[in-house]
Amino acid sequence: MTSRLSPINVILGLAPIALLIAVWQGLVSFGVAPATLLPPPGYVFGRLLQQLVTATFQQEIAATLVRLFAGFAIAVVLGVSIGIAAAASPAINAAVRPIVRVLAPLPKVALYPALLLLLGFGHGSKITLVTADALFPILLSTYYGASTVEQKLIWSAMAAGTPRYEILFKVVLPAAMPSILTGCRIGLVISCIVVFLAEMITSTDGLGHVLVTAARTFQAVDMFVPLITISLLGLILNGLLGAVRSYLLRGFPEA
Amino acid sequence: MAEPVATRKPASSIIEIEHVSQIFQTSARKDHQALSDISLTIEEGAFVSILGPSGCGKSTLLYIVGGFVSPTGGAAKMKGKTIAGPGPDRGPVFQEFALFPWKTVLGNVTYGPRQQGMSASEADAQSRALIEMVGLKGYESFYPKELSGGMKQRVALARTLAYHPEVLLMDEPFGALDAHTRTRLQNDLLNIWERDRKTVLFVTHSVDEAVFLSDKVVMMSKSPGRIRQVIDIDLPRPRRRNELLLDPRYQKYVVDIERMFDESDEVGSRS
Amino acid sequence: MMPPTTLARRAAPVLACIGLLALWQVAALALKNDSFPTAIEAIRAIPSILGDKEALINIIASLRRMAIGFGVAVFVSIPLGLMMGRSRAVAAFFNPLLMVIYPVPKAALMPIIMLWLGVGDITKTLVIFLGVSLPVIYHSFEGAKAVEEKMLWSGAAMGLSAAQRMVWIVLPASLPEILTGCRTGLVLALITMITSEMIARQSGAGNILFNALDMGQYDTVFAMIIIVGAMGIGLDALFERVRAKLVRWSEPQFDIPLSFS
Repeated sequence: MTSRLSPINVILGLAPIALLIAVWQGLVSFGVAPATLLPPPGYVFGRLLQQLVTATFQQEIAATLVRLFAGFAIAVVLGVSIGIAAAASPAINAAVRPIVRVLAPLPKVALYPALLLLLGFGHGSKITLVTADALFPILLSTYYGASTVEQKLIWSAMAAGTPRYEILFKVVLPAAMPSILTGCRIGLVISCIVVFLAEMITSTDGLGHVLVTAARTFQAVDMFVPLITISLLGLILNGLLGAVRSYLLRGFPEA
Repeated sequence: MAEPVATRKPASSIIEIEHVSQIFQTSARKDHQALSDISLTIEEGAFVSILGPSGCGKSTLLYIVGGFVSPTGGAAKMKGKTIAGPGPDRGPVFQEFALFPWKTVLGNVTYGPRQQGMSASEADAQSRALIEMVGLKGYESFYPKELSGGMKQRVALARTLAYHPEVLLMDEPFGALDAHTRTRLQNDLLNIWERDRKTVLFVTHSVDEAVFLSDKVVMMSKSPGRIRQVIDIDLPRPRRRNELLLDPRYQKYVVDIERMFDESDEVGSRS
Repeated sequence: MMPPTTLARRAAPVLACIGLLALWQVAALALKNDSFPTAIEAIRAIPSILGDKEALINIIASLRRMAIGFGVAVFVSIPLGLMMGRSRAVAAFFNPLLMVIYPVPKAALMPIIMLWLGVGDITKTLVIFLGVSLPVIYHSFEGAKAVEEKMLWSGAAMGLSAAQRMVWIVLPASLPEILTGCRTGLVLALITMITSEMIARQSGAGNILFNALDMGQYDTVFAMIIIVGAMGIGLDALFERVRAKLVRWSEPQFDIPLSFS
């Protein structure tokens, strides 16, 4: 959901967020919701800033980020290579396609108990779950991008003397890049969501665990803090990926 | 209907197309015969146009010479050797430009020479000269998306010329351009061609374009694609557009060819 | 009569299922791990879950909440997405808000909403509603944005009002894209349902999974995974049929839904 940033758009876009915070404040101020259930926004953001500088909270963020990046990175490597291979070889395609058809709509989170049994309660099971969820959008968009590369680009490179195996890296991969990066973007958001949920379901550290701990003791403020943190992390990572994207795709129209 | 074509065989023939036919499977049951028993010889240094209505298989014939498509029957030969795949001795220029969007103008033009193992500095110098020759000096670091259609096609031409193919295969290269840009590129192409007179195989559906550019026009008819007639265009070179348009011989070629296509259309519609 | 290629294409996913189960069987036999039952053991445990009246009621209650959450979300999200796609102002108004909400795990809101509304059906349905909304809004938005301007001009020339153009041109023209969003939303509804039940641990399919895990009934865990997986694949296949009927006019497109929590 990208739109050009004109000043009017920025004001217009900030309006609903400001409105949301105003309503939130209003609910507390007029006593509609008790502060124990819905702490006022100023208090929540103050608490967030206060937490962000503590070492313990930073460690929770670090634990979440390690799992997120590891899972996402594995998903990118696997998704791009399987996607390209499936587009390049009819034999691999025939094998991959039905398996993907079955596994893609499968609710991966249901596999989590199995992963816990097989890989234990540590990083391994969470990273695997993140990979399993982020893999398919990346794989599918890579496959889509690679299989719709314009034939004449490939012919042009072949006529210029590019050997067949090099075509994959010199033409198909760069030509599929816009589509691959779209898949990565979806995969990244999914990774944020999944890592948080996995930590909520069972974990001893990470942002999801912070939320669960707060929920057990009915500390409403501390429940908002990790949620806002993961949202901010998502926005920052999305922005970074956007920067990478506009650098990599500087030649492409509408990048 | 198709008379035996190009039976005189000078020593300098470069491409020989021998009884080529092409059948595409369009659906499970139906086959479409795109080309039927095409034989044609192209002499070295000749500018040959393949002219015909859309759907007559003229582009397919070009792709077969390029080695991008293998014929279902017969064979195409380059210097006596059967064409088995694409190679840098035959350089294509497509209507769709097919430039690499992730490379700059210079990057696109140096691609071929670098692929041939030329050093970076040498490829760079040579490509800059070519970019200047096609009239795009100053645009070296632009990306294709920043160029107009005519400029893109100039880059595509430079990219292909850069690896010194012996034959240029041009697939309706000016078909996507507006009339004004089109005539300018035709003139520039002729000027560039006059320098070293490479063999050119040029596919078009425009009669004036074919007559203006070519030494020889191969007329094709459709379903199935056959060669109808081959016409030698005996007009002086170098050709100047403003002179040629007034030349009665040019006008006669254009009118005759158009009439022949009209007649075949009528026969086609009656049967 | 079916041509052999079509038959092979239909059979391929079934073969893939069998292949994956076989792979599981081999892996389980090779690992010889007590907590990793074989595929056959897991399949044998399925009837006892489905035969258990309480478990069955639980699962059906889950599915009902899912259907309501999904239905309401689709009903609200499509008009919003379409309006965003046709009006820059509406898009500029909602886009940043949606971008902020996007990376928040919807099921993670469960504890907070529970705090406010209790553990009842409303909480669980609301979470599913939130999970489904975003992809449907997003795809409706993209679909409406891509509607050919000239098509709308033709409509205006024929005397259609702005509202009529929305219903009779924008909606059908973006239907393929909207349905792609609904398909993603459907899988998401299932995932959000399971996840929220795993977090709340009160009832439902997600709860059965973790109760079995806690009690060490590993074949029940894996049997439940098969049931949930089959629900995902089944719902998706069902929706795909409906979709193919509705947009028969559209170019065939390559889309396998992207499922994520």
